[in-house]
Amino acid sequence: MARKGIAMKALFGNSIRPGLLAALMVTVTAAADEPTKPVSQLAQRLPQAAAEKLFTLEVLPLLKVKCFGCHGTDPEDLRGDYDLTTRDAMIAGGESGEVALVPGKPEDSSLYHAVLWDGYEMPPKENDRLSPEQTELIRQWIASGAPWPGEDVQRRIQQQEWAVRENEDGIIVDTSGGLADDWTYRRYQPDEIWAFQPVDAPDLSAALASGQNPVDYFVNRRLTQAGLTPSGRATPDELIRRGSYDVTGLPPTLEQLQAFRTAADKDADKAWQQLVGQLLDSPHYGERWGQHWLDVARYADTSGFSNDYERSNAWRYRDYVIRSFNSDKPFNAFVLEQLAGDEILAARAAEQEDSPAGLPQCTLDAADSELLIATGFLRMGPWGTAMIPQKEARQIYLDDLVHNVGQTFLAMPLRCCKCHDHKFDPLPTRDYYSFYAAFATTQPAERKAEFLGEENRNGFEPGKKQVEELLAFARGEQKQVQDKQEAAARQWYKEHDLPYKNENQRKNDPEDKKPPRHVGLTPAEKGIKKVREQDVWIWERRLERFEPMVQAVYNGQDDYKNGRKLREPKAINQSWRPSSFILSGGALEAPSEPVTPGVLSAAGLPASDDPDSPWRVTDDLIGRRLAVARWIASDDNPLTARTIVNRVWQYHFGKGLVKTANNFGSKGSRPTHPELLDWLTADFVNHGWKLKRLHTLIMTSQAYQRSGRPVDASALAQKDPDNQLLSVFSPRRLTAEELRDSVLQVTGELNTEMGGLPVMPEINMEVALQPRMIQFSIAPAHQPSATPDQRNRRTIYTYRVRGQADPFLEIMNLPNPNESCELRDSASVTPQAFTLMNSDVMTDRSIAFALRIRSEAPKDDVSAQIQRAFALAYGRAASSREVASLSDYLKKMQAYHRDVTPEKVEYPRFVTRSLVEEFTGKPFEFIEKLNVYDGYTPDAKPWTVDADTRALADVCLLLLNSNEFLFVY
Amino acid sequence: MSALARRDFLYGLGSSLGALALTDLQAQEQAAGPLAPKKPMLDAKAKAVIMLFMEGGPSQVDTFDPKPKLTELHLSESKRTAGLANGKRFYVGSPFKSRKVGQSGIDMSDQWQFLAEPEVADELCVYRGCKAESLNHPEALLHMNTGSRLGGDPGLGAWATYGLGSENQNLPGYVVMTELALPQAGPANWTNGYLPAYYQGTRLRSTGSPILDLNPPVYKDRQHQRKALDQLAMLNGQHADRHPEHADLVARMESYELAYRMQMTVPGIVDIDSEPEHLQKSYGLDRKETAAFGRQCLMARRLVEQGVRFVQIFSGGWDSHDYLQKGHSARIASVDQPIAALIKDLKARGLLEDTLVVWTGEFGRTPDNNYRGGVTALGRGHNADAMNMWFAGGGTRKGTIVGGTDEIGAAAVDVVHPIRDVHVTMLRLLGLDDNKLTYFHAGRFKQLSQFGGELIPELIG
Repeated sequence: MARKGIAMKALFGNSIRPGLLAALMVTVTAAADEPTKPVSQLAQRLPQAAAEKLFTLEVLPLLKVKCFGCHGTDPEDLRGDYDLTTRDAMIAGGESGEVALVPGKPEDSSLYHAVLWDGYEMPPKENDRLSPEQTELIRQWIASGAPWPGEDVQRRIQQQEWAVRENEDGIIVDTSGGLADDWTYRRYQPDEIWAFQPVDAPDLSAALASGQNPVDYFVNRRLTQAGLTPSGRATPDELIRRGSYDVTGLPPTLEQLQAFRTAADKDADKAWQQLVGQLLDSPHYGERWGQHWLDVARYADTSGFSNDYERSNAWRYRDYVIRSFNSDKPFNAFVLEQLAGDEILAARAAEQEDSPAGLPQCTLDAADSELLIATGFLRMGPWGTAMIPQKEARQIYLDDLVHNVGQTFLAMPLRCCKCHDHKFDPLPTRDYYSFYAAFATTQPAERKAEFLGEENRNGFEPGKKQVEELLAFARGEQKQVQDKQEAAARQWYKEHDLPYKNENQRKNDPEDKKPPRHVGLTPAEKGIKKVREQDVWIWERRLERFEPMVQAVYNGQDDYKNGRKLREPKAINQSWRPSSFILSGGALEAPSEPVTPGVLSAAGLPASDDPDSPWRVTDDLIGRRLAVARWIASDDNPLTARTIVNRVWQYHFGKGLVKTANNFGSKGSRPTHPELLDWLTADFVNHGWKLKRLHTLIMTSQAYQRSGRPVDASALAQKDPDNQLLSVFSPRRLTAEELRDSVLQVTGELNTEMGGLPVMPEINMEVALQPRMIQFSIAPAHQPSATPDQRNRRTIYTYRVRGQADPFLEIMNLPNPNESCELRDSASVTPQAFTLMNSDVMTDRSIAFALRIRSEAPKDDVSAQIQRAFALAYGRAASSREVASLSDYLKKMQAYHRDVTPEKVEYPRFVTRSLVEEFTGKPFEFIEKLNVYDGYTPDAKPWTVDADTRALADVCLLLLNSNEFLFVY
Repeated sequence: MSALARRDFLYGLGSSLGALALTDLQAQEQAAGPLAPKKPMLDAKAKAVIMLFMEGGPSQVDTFDPKPKLTELHLSESKRTAGLANGKRFYVGSPFKSRKVGQSGIDMSDQWQFLAEPEVADELCVYRGCKAESLNHPEALLHMNTGSRLGGDPGLGAWATYGLGSENQNLPGYVVMTELALPQAGPANWTNGYLPAYYQGTRLRSTGSPILDLNPPVYKDRQHQRKALDQLAMLNGQHADRHPEHADLVARMESYELAYRMQMTVPGIVDIDSEPEHLQKSYGLDRKETAAFGRQCLMARRLVEQGVRFVQIFSGGWDSHDYLQKGHSARIASVDQPIAALIKDLKARGLLEDTLVVWTGEFGRTPDNNYRGGVTALGRGHNADAMNMWFAGGGTRKGTIVGGTDEIGAAAVDVVHPIRDVHVTMLRLLGLDDNKLTYFHAGRFKQLSQFGGELIPELIG
């Protein structure tokens, strides 16, 4: 592996960092966990040469970036009438008439006070505000007499400076170059560009104690340094619950719990190792960790934007992700398939697998369909074309790809460089547009791909039948209105003595030679005509769920696209090449320098053998993405493996070694344990990018197995309140999916069938029937799956609509699928209490739970019932106080429910919709059929069970609401 | 939750950023609860906002920006090529007459009857200079409501409650009311985005339960709920005793008690029958076409009175591509009386002074139209270059028209500002500085205006 730049040791040492003029002026601490602040201000006045250098290299560039925008660039528009572009003007000040700068006397200079935000606050925006180091530069410059050398001197100073790649003031990063020299030659502090440096794993062969997990070596070292005593191992009950949720997203069953207790009693280490192995072998592993990936990738079954069209085959990508995790597919192969599965196929077909860039060492034996399904990743963003100019829609698509490929695989959000060179990271706008060019032949489409044997195709027949019925209904309604219109049209032609022409034939006739638009229709019918036309589209599209099609991409020319139906064109122009430019300010109308397809230069990893253009990839129609994917998936890419290793760590511990999992740039966090991150990364890459190995390594560490109880809470609060050093294990709340799945497991209702068509749980009925505007119409209502076993599938298989989330999941902090979610929020908001206590969904679960207990515990034995409920919900026995209190409560509830009779609620067979008709502004109504209820198997409901069951359900509901149920320790 | 844990939890801050990255606001939040009232950054003119959102894009030339020239051009061929215009086009004169109303002489089409009363009209500050930038409903809605066209950024009300908290801890700080059908782009219009979930807009539903699942199923009464919560507190209390190190538990326990209190306060707010009959009538609750919107306007006043920070009401159906006369006349008739009543009611209670009322759509409409179905459809297309909106109360300049469009109302030409400047101005009226009202997310300080904007001083009284 090529080594360049600085050694990792120097990056993170808790040492004093020398600045440009360190000996003379500023010293700054740069510990990873302390804010930077100026420490001393030794010299008051620099020698002339040093001061001129300070001005040229530090102060002037700072002024240009931070001040000239409002105080110089446009002489016609000087804010406060203050010009900063010359020394005289700077001294003279602005409209207040007050002298702004007194050479030699920063304290008397209002300019200096302004940049300190002391009185005036300049620059006025939080984002632009000068750092303490920067204000210190200004102070030092003024104190030194505020020299302003001429341009010749400036040029000479600059060139001397640029010739030195690395000095005390920082490092110049080799990139493809910014739009200005100031940017190209700017210096970075080592810790700002840590992620671009090659992975540098320390050799532990001598350091590790016998049998010690490398994770513990690094973690314990920091704890010792900090003087913190780590907590001991969590109890077996805590451990199995922690591990089980972490790996599978489900609580352990009572049998698993009992077996583990027994095994742990004999040999705790061995029992845990075995358990970790079993959990990772469980097919539920892919469901849990696939969900993490889908969060980042932004999975949904619809397209968002104005129409929120269904992406009818998106589920195949979801299942591909789950399969990939379960088979422990090497992560580099996972990267290649998602970014360029179609091009791998093309390369195979052309037998060009050994392209110059060289395939990374990983297995790529996926079937053809699988490789197309994988490219669903490139279709995960929300996108539409309605009412958006084509070029702009295209730009939205490509920008979304560039940005999200960057943050997903490289932890480098790239959108910042759409309009300018990156303000903080070594990412020139040129690289953004090179990356953009690499995707510029990529076109979204639904493509044909045969079903694979392992894909679950259950429910195709009834599903298709249901959609066909709805389609037939829509067509019938449409025809009625259409027939009425055409009958009137015929009449009109007859009256005007003209031959009849149908709607399409007469479209371009002059107005006096054809009947009025919507002839013969009432205002309501006009509205209905539009609504039903849209319905027909919706149901025709949904039939594609059952077709061997995938949401995928192809390479081809830019042509007209309608998000409603995206298909490959009849002919692909093989010689078509998009012209690629840097777009100034991101504007399509402002192309500037041409660019070629390429990769991010700052990573220091060439994509081509040509030393003159190391960052370039092919500019053929096909192969651009594959080349970029190879570069991303390369063993030597410093970002990719670190990014996924950090994500894995984050999901295990609740926070990453780098807390900003989507952003390893200078504005993201620094790694808390950089050597550990690099060690794990190197180990990961050296052992074939296998995630299960990484999970095992992490989970078998002491750090992972620690109790959540601190040995010394006050020491922890004082020394490490954020628990960065991992002396205890941080508890967490269940995610939305874990909560729903756990409830179903506890009630005995969970159906663990995997994959296939999206399923529809019952959701709040008001929301299910809530009209949701799309273009010209209302989106179809949420109709639940007809049978409990389909409704009660795991949450990852539920239908995800961008325009309407399941309110239960949404309130439990389900992320918005339009943005990549690096880490779930778990804020407690009050409406969660409403949903968990009062919703029909939870009422039904509590009844199912009660029915289960009644079938498994003696009917008349209240305390046995409570014990059974505790065992199922918490995996423990209830204390005598709990039994006493809940028995009393249960008896009161039995008495209560004997006196009340819940009213039966019928399922609706249709819903009446009301829309404001565009033509007249008047509301009109129409019917939407809810045909699932024609043959529906409901759950047990309050009115179908007796009073004692309802009373027991009250107890069950409390357990499902309790903190013990919702938190994992 | 400990302050530090909460910060960590909410902001996912790299602690290497440490104190530097914490804005004053984030620090304040550590000290008190997230929705505790916070002092404005600057002198505030408004304490609360009621935003009346006319979804679909009301036409400026048919509401508050009359163009006699357009009447002259009616049905003559248009050569405009802006936006998505293509094919043959023709000009459409306004089907409505316009007149100057009130002491201030504000232009209003004759469809506005109630708003034209001097005591209402003279409160308005009509702004004609805004440019919307998007031509499609969802993007434009998101832009007007969240400052970003892409969706996923926090809504205006989320920013306001983040900046100021709420005066009433027993009600949501940010309340949204819609028609039965949600506007395009749906809840993304009032999302908390990357701000913590406390700041999301809460929908108060006009039918059914005002807040989803506010109450248990009807067979469980209030005593039943109280007993259940007491038992839950017992379970959670025992659990908390076993986990003294875990501060999140307390926050979750408290949320159940707040929920219980809200079960009392929310129905009270929604129960507008307690308002005097003449007042209900003044909002048009007795007339079919105004009842729905009138109810929401009356509720908005009650919410603001109770200390809710930001109330938003959506009224749909303004997308008049065709049959403009019928369409706009019906839409105006449905909101005219309720809005006028709202302004008078706020004024009578001394609330208008510090309540900013905003009336806007997501964009304006074109002076011309294309042939639809081959005929001269008398409607208007989407227009991102011109629109009108108005403000009342909350420190805005009353009885004024600010900015202007060209002679056919096609593009703003005077006091022209993008949406972000309107946002900056609204925040400023609330005593918030857009450049300081920031949140550290995904590597930078984010703000409502995205990258900063300008104040529109002409709007401020």
